Amino acid sequence: MKRTLQVGLPIALAILAVGFYQAIFVAPTEATMGEVQRIFYYHVPSAIMALLFPYVNFAASAAYLLIRRSNPLRAQAADALALAAAEVTLVFASIGLATGMLWGRAAWGIWWTWDARLTSFLMLWLLYVSYLLLRRFTAGGQTQTLAAVLSVFAAIDVPIVYMSIRWWRTQHPSPVFFGGPDTGIDPHMVPAFVLNVAGWFAWGVLLVTLRYQLQRKRQRADQDATLRALESTLQSVR
Amino acid sequence: MNKSNVGIRVAIATILIVGTILYLAITGVRANKSYYVTIQELQGMGNHAYTRHLRVAGNVKPGSIERNGGHMQFVLVEQGRVLHVSYVGDDPPPDTFKDNAQALAIGMYGRDGIFHATQIQAKCASKYAPAKPGAQTTQTASMSPAKAS
Repeated sequence: MKRTLQVGLPIALAILAVGFYQAIFVAPTEATMGEVQRIFYYHVPSAIMALLFPYVNFAASAAYLLIRRSNPLRAQAADALALAAAEVTLVFASIGLATGMLWGRAAWGIWWTWDARLTSFLMLWLLYVSYLLLRRFTAGGQTQTLAAVLSVFAAIDVPIVYMSIRWWRTQHPSPVFFGGPDTGIDPHMVPAFVLNVAGWFAWGVLLVTLRYQLQRKRQRADQDATLRALESTLQSVR
Repeated sequence: MNKSNVGIRVAIATILIVGTILYLAITGVRANKSYYVTIQELQGMGNHAYTRHLRVAGNVKPGSIERNGGHMQFVLVEQGRVLHVSYVGDDPPPDTFKDNAQALAIGMYGRDGIFHATQIQAKCASKYAPAKPGAQTTQTASMSPAKAS
């Protein structure tokens, strides 16, 4: 864990610092929205990460479901990764929702509306809240399996979130990227955007790695405790 | 409970849940006009247009905004069709609501041909261009809660 921090933290912080400088001081002020548009450099990267890490969670959960009987020890590693990705997803989804609401109040005049994009994204957030609640508060040996099944539904919701502004009429703007003519950002805004996507991605990877390593340590500590308890019972029987 | 029995139960539950999600998604796609209607659709709705609470989208016709205390009148244009909107509401419209902006008016269509809105929302373009030097840009004043009241 120490090495992950020593290597990962400076890299992530350096990209984020340059990204912040670009987003706040270098990128041009947008014509219709003004300074408020700069929240774009935080809202969109957070939302991208909130749609990306669910697939880490999903892949790890699927791996857990497949090998939990044949290779229980390795399955624990997959489960630790799933948990780490789920927690980081929830953080990014929360930032995406919060920045979106602030921006919406300024640019649309409303904090919230029940259009397809906002609703499906809220659903993703709720799915990960329930995922973590499920892991925290259920007892018994089925917790990891149930959580892994829940992650499948989150994985179904992600493409719906992504496509919502293409399939339906929404309050949320139609796609800025890959949106066809009359969309896109000014070339002078690209560095700020790319740096923030890269920086938040590095930050997310760092958090997932650290959380994974922590969870593995906890699992090993639990296994050791169980083993010692078993051994002491055997000795008392003898 | 033997093993195959569990498998069947899980399969049934999966089919039920996935089926429900698919059903909701497909009916949602069919009802894709529900968030707002265009002016053309509003005028083609016949009698239904007068009885429903609607959201109408259009572009604000330049120079058409007339403010009068808490009351405001403006004209929405969309592909040559015109809709007169009369707005009476508590909140001032967002700063992005101005000439040529995309806007949503929420309220009821009156038999007098005027749309009586109780809420105005702006809608943002998907193109971000830099402001011209010296040009007036929207400031972030609407972020302060004092102005919203």
